[in-house]
Parts: sequence; C-alpha cells; structure tokens
Amino acid sequence: MKPAAFDYHAPTTIDEALDLLAAHGDDARVLAGGQSLVPLMAVRLSRTEHLVDLNTIPALAEIGSANGSLSVGSMVRQRTIEHDPTIAATVPLLARATPWIGHFQIRNQGTVGGSLAHADPAAEYPAVALALDAQMEIRSAGQTRTVTAENFFEGLFSTCIEAGELLTAITFPTRQPGEGFAINEVARRHGDFALVGTAARVAVDNQGAVTSSAIAMFGVGTTPQRVTATEQALIGADQDADLNAIAQISSTELAPFDDLHASASYRKRVGAVTVRRALTDAIEEARDG
Amino acid sequence: MTAGRFVGQRVIRREDRRFTTGEGNYIDDIAVAGMLHAAFVRSDFARGIILSIDTTEAEASPGVIAVLTAADLNAMSGPMYSTLLGEAAAAPPMRALADGDVRYVGEPVAVVVARDRYLAEDAAELVFVDIEPQTPVIGPVFALDETDQIVHPERGTNLAQSFPVNDTPEVEAAFAGAAHVVSRQFTQSRATCVPMEGRGLIASWSPSSQTFEGWVSSQNSHEYHAHMARVLGVPHHHVRLRTGDIGGGFGQKVMVTRDEDCIVLASKALAMPIKWIEDRRENLIAANQARAEILDVSMALDEDANILACTVRHVEDVGAYAIGGHASASGNLANIFPGPYRIPLYGVGSRSAYTNTVGRGAYRGPWLSETTAREQMIDHIARELGIDPLELRRRNIITDEELPYTSATGMVYDNMALTGCLEQAIEMVDYEAFRSQQAAALQEGRYLGLGLSTYVEPGAISWGSLAAERAVLRIDPGGKVRLLLGSGEHGQSVGLTMSQLVAEYLGCGVDDVELIQGDTATTPFGGGTAGSRTSVIAGGATIGAAKVLRDKVASIAAHLLEAAPADIEVLDGRAFVAGSPAQGLSFAEIAHVAYRQTDQLAGGPEPDLEASHRYQPPNMFTFSNACHVCVCEVDIETGLVDLQRYIVSEDCGPLINPMVVEGQVSGGVVQGIGGVLYEHMAYDDAGNPLASTFLDYLLPGAAEMPIIEIGHCETLADTEGGFKGMSEGGTIGAPAAVANAVADALAPLGVLTGEFPMGPSQIIDLIEAAASASA
Amino acid sequence: MADVQMPPAVPVSVRVNGTARSGEVEARKTLADFLRDDCGLTGTHLACEHGACGACTVLVDGQAVRSCLLFAVQCQTREVVTVEGLTVDPETLTPVQQAFQDCHGLQCGFCTPGFVVSVTAFLADNPDPTEEEIRIGLSGNLCRCTGYQGIYAAVRQAAAELRGSK
Repeated sequence: MKPAAFDYHAPTTIDEALDLLAAHGDDARVLAGGQSLVPLMAVRLSRTEHLVDLNTIPALAEIGSANGSLSVGSMVRQRTIEHDPTIAATVPLLARATPWIGHFQIRNQGTVGGSLAHADPAAEYPAVALALDAQMEIRSAGQTRTVTAENFFEGLFSTCIEAGELLTAITFPTRQPGEGFAINEVARRHGDFALVGTAARVAVDNQGAVTSSAIAMFGVGTTPQRVTATEQALIGADQDADLNAIAQISSTELAPFDDLHASASYRKRVGAVTVRRALTDAIEEARDG
Repeated sequence: MTAGRFVGQRVIRREDRRFTTGEGNYIDDIAVAGMLHAAFVRSDFARGIILSIDTTEAEASPGVIAVLTAADLNAMSGPMYSTLLGEAAAAPPMRALADGDVRYVGEPVAVVVARDRYLAEDAAELVFVDIEPQTPVIGPVFALDETDQIVHPERGTNLAQSFPVNDTPEVEAAFAGAAHVVSRQFTQSRATCVPMEGRGLIASWSPSSQTFEGWVSSQNSHEYHAHMARVLGVPHHHVRLRTGDIGGGFGQKVMVTRDEDCIVLASKALAMPIKWIEDRRENLIAANQARAEILDVSMALDEDANILACTVRHVEDVGAYAIGGHASASGNLANIFPGPYRIPLYGVGSRSAYTNTVGRGAYRGPWLSETTAREQMIDHIARELGIDPLELRRRNIITDEELPYTSATGMVYDNMALTGCLEQAIEMVDYEAFRSQQAAALQEGRYLGLGLSTYVEPGAISWGSLAAERAVLRIDPGGKVRLLLGSGEHGQSVGLTMSQLVAEYLGCGVDDVELIQGDTATTPFGGGTAGSRTSVIAGGATIGAAKVLRDKVASIAAHLLEAAPADIEVLDGRAFVAGSPAQGLSFAEIAHVAYRQTDQLAGGPEPDLEASHRYQPPNMFTFSNACHVCVCEVDIETGLVDLQRYIVSEDCGPLINPMVVEGQVSGGVVQGIGGVLYEHMAYDDAGNPLASTFLDYLLPGAAEMPIIEIGHCETLADTEGGFKGMSEGGTIGAPAAVANAVADALAPLGVLTGEFPMGPSQIIDLIEAAASASA
Repeated sequence: MADVQMPPAVPVSVRVNGTARSGEVEARKTLADFLRDDCGLTGTHLACEHGACGACTVLVDGQAVRSCLLFAVQCQTREVVTVEGLTVDPETLTPVQQAFQDCHGLQCGFCTPGFVVSVTAFLADNPDPTEEEIRIGLSGNLCRCTGYQGIYAAVRQAAAELRGSK
C-alpha cells in the first residue's frame, strides 16, 4: 500500500504556504499530522500533485489567550493539548476529548487543525468545536476569514475550506463560572472511532438550573450535529429533571447511517445514552462551580 | 509427572534477544541480488466476464519490467494442489491468474513486476481490466438452495462437497421417544487468520540449471517444495526452499496459494528473481478465510437431562477457491461433535457451498464450529430446562471411570481429564461465589454472566504426508548440537522446546542446541508446524534421536575412557564415568576424536555422532482437552461486553515448557474472543469484502482482554513423552465460552443468542428483540 | 520496458540512531521504507501500512510515532531512533527488551519491535503506571500471537526495573 507520487514542499512561513496553495489550487494538499491523510494516501483514496508540509511552520503551532478565549494554532499537536494545564483549565472540553483520540502514538503527531479539517463525523474534535461554537480562522494569499464551527462542517469529510485556503487557528471560548463540560462516547476498543458520542457544554444559574447548553453528537451522520431540540428541552432543568427523557429527544433529531460496526437505530438509541451520561457529568460540574 | 532438568521448566527463549533488538530475519528483510518486486492487479468484481485486459500503459510505466496475465502464465503451470490432499481435492482446479472470468473480489488478474513496490503499484493502477459484471452468488444457503447461478460452470453445481445425512433409525427413534427435544441454529461469522506478517516469498528461477530457489514464509516448507516443483514442472530435487523467521501463520501459510504460484511462475517466465510481499489489504481480502458456517443442532434428552442423541445439519461457505478439503470443518464435525459427552447416538449431514468470495483455508482449529455450536447448545438447553449449565455438563460428561470411551463416531478417548478439567476450571472461578455475585449484581441492575465451554481437541493428526516426523541430530565438529526437523515454527517456540528435549535426553545444555528448519535441501521431510502436532510428532522424533545419539556418545566416551558404556553418564555436554564427573570428556573433545582423530577409535565404536529417528504416534489423533470459563459484564445500555475473568483448565499431557503452553493457550483464547466480539469479514450482496483494513477488521486489543488464568491437569498420552498437541485449543474453546457468558448475562432479559458476531450493535438488537417479544 | 524516465528523487538526510543517513528517494517514500531499504534497518516492520497496528513504531525526537505515516523527507531535521538503536551496548538488553524476553511477551516476534519502542516511550512518560494505564498505553499496538498476557507482565516488570534502577 504505497502512496502515489507527489512533489513535496516544506514552507517555513504561513505566507509561503499560502503562496504555494494559491499557485497550485486543487492540485495541492496540506500535510498536518498525517494520521488521517497518509493512510488515505497509502490506499490511494487520496492523492495530490503537490504536498505542502505544514510541520515546518512554527507560526502555526502557537497558543495565545485573549479575553475570554484561547487561540490554538492549527498545527498544535493533540499531545500538547492533552498535557497542557492551561488548556485543561480554560478549555476543558478540548482537553478531555483528547485522550479518546486514537492512541498516544497517534496523538504525538496528530494536530487539532488536521482533525478538524479532515472532518471525520465520528471524530471528537469536530464535535467539541461545534459544542463550543469555536471560530475557525481560514487564510488564503489574499485574505483572512473567520467561520463558526456551525458553518465549517459541510458534509462527509468536507469543510468550507476552499482550494488555496488554509485553516490557521481555532479560537475557543474559555470556561466561565457556572459551566460544566463532558464528553461521552461508545467505542468498541480503546482508541477506535466512536460508534456514537456526545460532547456537551452546560451552564447553570445560581440555583443550579440549566440556562443554556450545547450538545454536539458525533458518529451520527455526515457531520457532527447539535441536537437543538434536546438543548431546548434542557433549559430550566433542575435537580428533579428527568435527564433520561430529555436525552431521548436527541434520537428524534438524528438521521444516522448503518455501517459494518453499528446500525442507525443503535446510533440513535445509544446516542441518547451518551447524551444522558454527558449531561449528567456536565451538569454536576456546572453546579459545583 | 515431576519436571525434569529441562522438560517442564520455564526456560526463556534465546531468539528473543534477536527479536527485541530488531535483528529478526523475516521474508521482507531478505534480499536476493537483482530481485524485482511484484504487485497484483486484482478483480474489483465478485463475478464477471473479462472482456479485455489492456496492459499497454502499465508496461510503459517507469521501472516496469513486465505485466503478466493469464495468457503469459497459466499454460506454463503444472497442477496446483495440496500434496497432502491430492489433486482430486482441488475442485475446481486452481488457476494462477483469472482467465476469461473473475470469481471473487481480490482474484489476481495480472501481476506487475517492477524495480520496487511503489513503481509496481503505480503500474498496477494503469492496467485496465474491462469486466462485464454478473450477478454474484453470495451466502452458502443462497448458493445451495436459492439460486440457479453457478460459481464454477465447469463444476455445474455450487455444492462443493457433502456428507449426506447419516441419521440411523436408532437416532430417529431416540428423538421420537425423548422427554425433551431442543433445536437451535448457530452461526459463526466469517473470519480470517491475520498473522501480523502476511504472505511473502522470493522466487528465483535459474534457466541454465532449470532449478528453482525460493525464500518462503511458510509453516510447511516441504509441502511448498512439492507443490512448487509440480507447478514448475521440474523434478523434486530441482527445487530448494528456505525460510527465515516467520511472523505468524495460524494456518494461512500451510499450503501454497495461487498468488504465490503466480510469483513462482513469473520468476520462470522472466528468468529473474522476484519478491512479493502481501500488504494488509491483500491479506484481508485475498488470503484464504474461514469460519463461515451454520449449524442446526438438535438434541434429545431424557427426563433426567441425559443426552440421548444429537443431530447436526451443517452448511459452510468455502468460497470460490478453497485450499483443499482439509480446510473444511465437515470432516472433524463428523468425528468429534459429541465432544466430551456421553452421547450414544449421533447423526450428521454437511454441505459445503461455493460462493463468489475468496476461498476457505485453514485457521487455527478449522473444525471448531463443533465446539462453538455444541457448547452454546448445552447452555441453551440448560436454560430451556431450568437446569444449571454446570449441572447439565456434570450429568453428561464422560467420567474417568468410563475411559477408554468409544464415542458414537468411533473416536476412542483415553488418557484424558475430561471431568478433571471441568472441575478444576469450576474451582478456579469459584463457581458458587460467582452465582451469588451475579444475583446480587442483578438486584443492582447489572448484568454479569458466566460461560462454560469444554471440548476435545484432535491434535497431532497422523496421516498421509503428516504421518510422522524425522529428527536428525548431530554433534558438530565444535561440540555443539544441531537438530534438523521438518517443522516450520512461526511463534510456537519449537526451537526452544525441542532443545529442551535434546538437553534432557542427550545430556547437554539447552543453549548448546540449534534447530535448523525450513531448508528443504537439508532438513528431513516433515509436515511442518500446524495442526497441534509438533510437540507430539517432532518431539517424539527428537527424543528418539537424542536417545540414540546419547548412546553413541557414551560408546565413544567409554572407549576413550576405558570404561563400560553402561557406566558412562552424559550430562551438561560432557560424558564421564558415573561418580567421577571431573574425569570425563566434553562434547568438543569427543567430536574432535570422532571427526579428526578417528584412529583413536580403531577396533572400537563407529566414529559417528549423528542419529536419525523417525517417529509416528500410535493413533491417528492424539486427543487433548480443556475447559474454559468466561466471566463478563454486559452494559445493556451500550451493548459493550467487559470480559472480567477468563479461566482455562487444560490437559495436554506433560508440558515441555509451561511458559510456551500458556502463551499458546492465551494467544488462541484471544483469537477466539476476536471471532465473537470483534472480527467480522463481512461481504455485501455484491460480493465486496467490507473489512479491507484494520479500521474495519477489528483485532482484539490490549485494553480489552482479560487476564487469562491457566490451570493444568496432566494425563499421559501413549505417545513418546506422553505429550498431546494443544496449540489450537485456546481458539477452539473460547468462542462458546464468551458467547455463553453473554447469553448468561442477558438471560434475565429473555435474550436468545446463537449468531456471531456479537458486537455492541448486535447485542442491543438482541435486547430490543427480547423486549419486543415479551411486550 | 520502454526507455521511460524514472520519477524524480530528492536528496534526504535523516539522523537515525545517532548517525546521519543519506539517500536519494522519492518524496513519497515513507520513513519506514527509508529505514528498511535505504538504511538497512529492517527491525522496523510493516504490518498494515495505515497506522493501525503499531508494528512500525519508531521514536522521532523522542516521541513514539508510526513510521508508515511519515515521509522520509519530513524527517530531515529530526532525530529518529529505531528498535536497533535502543540498546547502547549491543550485548545488553534494555530493561524493556529484557522484560519481554523474561515474560514471554513475544512469540513470532513480528509486532515486537513496535511494542518495544512504544513501551520504551510510554514508560519514559509514565514511569509508574496503573494497570489500567498500562492497558491503554498498549492499545496502539496489535499482537496476534500472545493474547497480550506476556506483554502486560513485561511492562510491569520493565516499569519496576526502571524505577528501581533510578
């Protein structure tokens, strides 16, 4: 299983990379961590004339905080996110999702931008981005634009990134008082893509009643999906709320696929279980602080 | 039996030093000067007519030497069949490359030979095969009973082989008069061996001498040798095969496959050495597969739940080109389905179906559906009748007092711990304590289950080419010991265990012995390593040779020491007069005389430090047995199964090396677990294999496996050393143990099981179905 | 064969086991193939070529990564250590290697280099792992022969040995 041939480019600055992408358009692909792309190249489902290596651009791997948000360069390694105490404290959902991604060897190379741009519907980071309303900074040789997560994921393994464009950074809102976060997924073996899962953010008021939430499910279709009716039903939920009944609403909002590993009905039924389990943990955390 | 100085000891492996430091010598590590690299073009259709193959662009691709099709290779080939099973068993005849039509996805249609594998794959993409698709025949029942489409026109039927139903009037009468009759269907899902190293070889044909040399990754190089000589049309002695280290086999490397034959023929066609290394996608979709079987089982019992009779109707999917009949489960199904139980009457019928999928091959315990079905059936009957499944087994299992026991199928069971292993396993798991824990857990809404599985294993088959093994043992001019066997180890520690036998019976150190295997020019003809045979048959030969050589050493030493041979002890590589170890001779000193100063032996013994011994076990099968217990918890919300404990009590006779035996049991158990919970070589209705990478064909992983606790009973077989073969046993017992544990856990929900795989999605389906049924 | 131009090769120089190794390879040549073919270091094995099995694991700048998912050209400024480079003294096995031998953590040996490299990196990051952490740490490497039993034991032994020798 050997990849098809390509010309290799190793730009050292973002502008250099953008110039290469502008020059080669559809004939260029970027190489981030390679943990998703290179297997596809090995089976020749993906091929390109020009491979533009982003690993040689230090500027893409910076992390910066601003008021109420954290900006994470697209080439920040999953391993870095997993072990960074600042991220654990300020964007806990991102940190907590990370150990679920593959295995430590994968995370040593894999990047946050690569995972988001690859847009596997069963991956954790796209759902986290959706749950946190992350902002994607997308640059091309001429301009910079910002796209919310909601508008970023367009379909199966496809995003709004056009030829000549590069995802350069992702901005996540940082944790506020009264917020709780949780991720819950079902996988057949540790490190496998989820059969189904939920990434949740919940905010509660001083009495512990839910004021808002974002419930993003993965493994449920062509993209991650916010189950907004479930989010609506959760508003006002107090200590007596029937989380199971609320979580069940999610299964009416989904249209998942059958595949070799799980049926669509499994994904709906067990998806609701992951919603309930994630909400239980997130609400408890929100009420604690 | 008490352990000897070496036999019975946990000796560690010398070769691990090489393996842990990256100094293994596997087929892809080996290079032959000037060798080229091959890549196959394979069919994307399960069935169809080949309208044309255009190789023009591929031939012009950089680095390409040749692109070969059936027109180039097939007519060159002698018949391709397993020497063990004979030409008639290869029905239809195997063909090198697809010729005129394709009959499974993955069938080789062309082979590209190029300077490296990257370039070969580039060219393979440029071969344009125009296929007119035909409706494929998928599924064995469909193939046999529901379609008039024929996989092999020259066969005229999709029935590959059959054993007609042989129910006797006594069987029928037993069912008619029984207090209880229970019937259920059990299916095994299709699986594949997945050695971590796939198939591979380097083929070198020499036109000037009309000889062939090959490096192969083979469990049985002598079989490969005979097959390749036949395919090349050369006399047997014009072939030499060698093996390096082999990265697993599990049955997939026992017989030559047509892909390998293509490379052999290509090397002759081009008169150039060619290496082919199978990649993982090829290994998953184009290497032989197994386990796709359906068994309809019926058992008749009396009012005390004694089994009076049982019948089995068996259907198996053998794909388009099975590797010989031996891979079929049918034979042993007929022999051993009643297992370790006192079942006086048995009727069986079996049908094997061709389908447009890759052919069936051997996979560790190829016949194990008999245990998978029988043991699940026992538990099912227990639930139906409201009896504890342990109690049901205790009532029906053959006791020690009944040995030797002749089964309804004519198998003679003797020197086995059928009851002993059951009782040891039960004690190890603390059965009563588990039942209490299970009941308490159920009160809390948790679903724990326990599954039993017990079986007999027909190891060390002794028949045809596999009847015997020969060991050649010599002390070399430097005083070290060389052992030559026709074995083909690929993880079973044959070198280690045979060295332990030599050390024990010749009288040297384990590290003094080196095993040479695989080289067909120098090693004695043998049956390779498969079928749980090496310890018994090669072990017997090795012990015999060691004893003969010991006597020769003693004779020479006696002469040189002016003592009587009976007074000579041979120990730790020295021969000395008993009681005076300091006054002796080392093997090196003895060898120096025997090889270089033979006049010192004038008038005395022959200067001969070599022994050759052939051993054939007394019976066609040497039976071992075991009992497995699996404890699990099922998360009924997600369908995930947590394997909490796994116990094996096994009897394989004396253990040459307990560490090795336990490793074989463990690896086998995990493969069995895989076949139930994780692995599924599924095909869609168009005949496309759906699991072509490790993302979809899921192997059991380290995070999910239980600690496997192993106990031993030890009865002596009437083989040399008392050994019995056991290496397939772990895989044989595990599927039913796991399935039974899940079924036991879900029984309170009214769930009925019997179908594999039992992944989380299937388990949730079962729970939903049971809930609907009871609603 | 037609007189066809071979695909372009690029010069590559990678530090492997402490030594600069050079070659001219196609850009698409994986690090795994570069190590095996161009450096003669065949200890790194290919068992899947799609990053799922871990047999090809090497250390790149001290981190365990799948060498089948890296291109040789990507590694020119990085330090690669293969299974052959773990033992400073070829006569002495590292505690991880010794533990695999002592605990029968291998049978056919094909997956073993990947395990040895991965476990070496894992224990460097996590010297006192719990049983659960060991299992998760091993989950990125597949073995078909051992059923993992000897491997769990090997990691425990190696961890204890490494902690004890500090």
